[in-house]
Amino acid sequence: MKLTRREFSAGLAAGLAAPALMRSAWAQGATIKIGMCVPVTGPAAEQGLWAQNGAKLALAAVNKAGGVLGKQVELVIEDDQTTNPGIVLAFSKLAAQSDIVAFLGSIRSTQVQAMAPDVIKVGKPVMIGGTNPDLTHSGNPWLFRFRPNDNYSGRVIADYGVNTLGKKKWAIVHSTDAFGTAGGKALTEALTKLGAPPVLDQGYANQSQDFTPVVLAVKQSGADVLGTYFTFENDLGIFARQLRQLGVNIPWVGSPSVVAVSSTKLAGPALFGTYGVADFAEDSSDVAKSFGKAYRDAYKTAPDNQSAWPYDAITILSAAINKAGSTDPTKIREAILATQKFAGAEGEYNFDKNGDGLHGYNVVKNDKGKIVYDKHIDFND
Amino acid sequence: MDLVLQLLFTGIGIGAVYALVALGFVLIFRATNVVNFAQGEFSMVAAYLMVVCVELGLPYWLSFVIALSGMALLGVIFNLGVYYPLRHRTYLPVIIATIGASILLSNSVLAIYGPQPQVLQGWFDTPGIQLGPVYLDSQYLLIIGVTILLVLFNFWFFEKTLLGKKLQATSQDKEMASLLGISVSTMIMITFIYSAVLGGLAGILVAPVLFVSIQMGSTIALKAFAATIIGGFGDVAGAIVGGLALGVIETFGAAYISVPYKDGFAFLVLIAFLVFRPQGIFGERVAEKA
Repeated sequence: MKLTRREFSAGLAAGLAAPALMRSAWAQGATIKIGMCVPVTGPAAEQGLWAQNGAKLALAAVNKAGGVLGKQVELVIEDDQTTNPGIVLAFSKLAAQSDIVAFLGSIRSTQVQAMAPDVIKVGKPVMIGGTNPDLTHSGNPWLFRFRPNDNYSGRVIADYGVNTLGKKKWAIVHSTDAFGTAGGKALTEALTKLGAPPVLDQGYANQSQDFTPVVLAVKQSGADVLGTYFTFENDLGIFARQLRQLGVNIPWVGSPSVVAVSSTKLAGPALFGTYGVADFAEDSSDVAKSFGKAYRDAYKTAPDNQSAWPYDAITILSAAINKAGSTDPTKIREAILATQKFAGAEGEYNFDKNGDGLHGYNVVKNDKGKIVYDKHIDFND
Repeated sequence: MDLVLQLLFTGIGIGAVYALVALGFVLIFRATNVVNFAQGEFSMVAAYLMVVCVELGLPYWLSFVIALSGMALLGVIFNLGVYYPLRHRTYLPVIIATIGASILLSNSVLAIYGPQPQVLQGWFDTPGIQLGPVYLDSQYLLIIGVTILLVLFNFWFFEKTLLGKKLQATSQDKEMASLLGISVSTMIMITFIYSAVLGGLAGILVAPVLFVSIQMGSTIALKAFAATIIGGFGDVAGAIVGGLALGVIETFGAAYISVPYKDGFAFLVLIAFLVFRPQGIFGERVAEKA
């Protein structure tokens, strides 16, 4: 038999391609894939690691309990570089893999906003942790939130400061990114409703090396309580130290970053005695306690909201796909929205029509470096 | 008045940090005619070296010596690996190589040490002193002190010592310097070592104030780069004055005009200089180098 050059090339091509084709065909059937856009590099790489830890912990539990639709679940991770173009790229890379049934998006509102138009185009469920209320209130049916949104954090901060601490003269310091701006606005609205409009509303740009002008503005405003929305723990640490150095010691009720593990470590005594709203508080429920224990056993460190929401997201998403009995996006969506009274690490999930799962916050206190649970404030609307 | 004094102190403190990093930029630029975009990463690497040594339980002074020695070694490696192979090319491939090196350095530290920001204790046990209405952060005092000392040292070194004069000769005209028997490649090697140590020193000094993180170098370096342009690229005194001016301008701009646009003021000043006085405050020979 004589082999022509064309036949030889065709044979060679087929031979080379066959193993890859067979592998991909085998892989498509063997597992259920969930994509995850998470910062592996960039300013939030640290938080990204925690998010991966939380997701992997839930994944192990789901797979141990038999997986989803009888198959093992696999997490496909893509780096969003903590930037808006980064997450758009990461999401499009994942979306190109047609066997991925659902996604985990960012904890950063700015980045969820950046990827949102593509989410509508792809038409598959995306679990998010960003807390800007608009994300789930702009008619995007595919975003599901696993943390309470900032309408609630603003209301809880205001409620706790005014009704529990009895303080009415507020200074608000917030980042000027999407998260900080929305948070500052929500807090201002909540305070105005409670009859205590803020005396200072001060924005700052992320990655500032010096907060002296901000601290002096707080000092000069004569406020007797401070409300904050900080995005990065580094910024918060520098601000907290300078605040104390310049002699400002008023009570401080802040967004979750005030009580985050790394802020507590970086700022040290400068954060003692501060209050924070926390969607995750280890002592707030039995599920949170057992999640905390499992996380400590696996990673030798305490968990916080960065790892709690992906944990809940994977758990609830897996349960929803099982309940839907299919990987059809519309059926998964209906199953997630039907999730009620589900006890997660972050609290009790009761999904509303917008895709918001949680409707309240815990208030915790930094007691000499230890984060202590104080009370839970929930809203029905 | 109290407010002005407090802002002035912080402005000078943060400006001194920019000045230290800017000095590293200027020295390498003078010797090689390229901008080293990894200068900020030198600060970051040194801060991490310091954290590692302190965590190992070594005394602070010994950690300091080890970290700076490590930086000297990095200067050698950087020269041999990034500059030397491209020394006969135009400035462009070298600049791109330094950008590549900066990405390599920051991602290597990320891979080895992980993304968690670290705390480095300051040199002094007391965090600061209250002088009347003004609070003086001890670490900022140290930074300002070290900057003053370095200005004096640089003056002495470059103007009064033979080695300093050889380095100056090399930066002014490499061919002429080599005709006079000066080993150009040795001089450039020394420049890289000195710049890496300077950058490292800035990183170690600033770490207790800004914490130790992967990004710490790049944010400072951007401002330091602006400072060198304002001061006059290639001028040692210009780098110091440019850095201090930038720190003070952005602090006062933030306090009296707008906090969110703090970084904007720094770059507004930069643009103004590029338009109206491109040679900077002290620069004279920019037209020839541009």
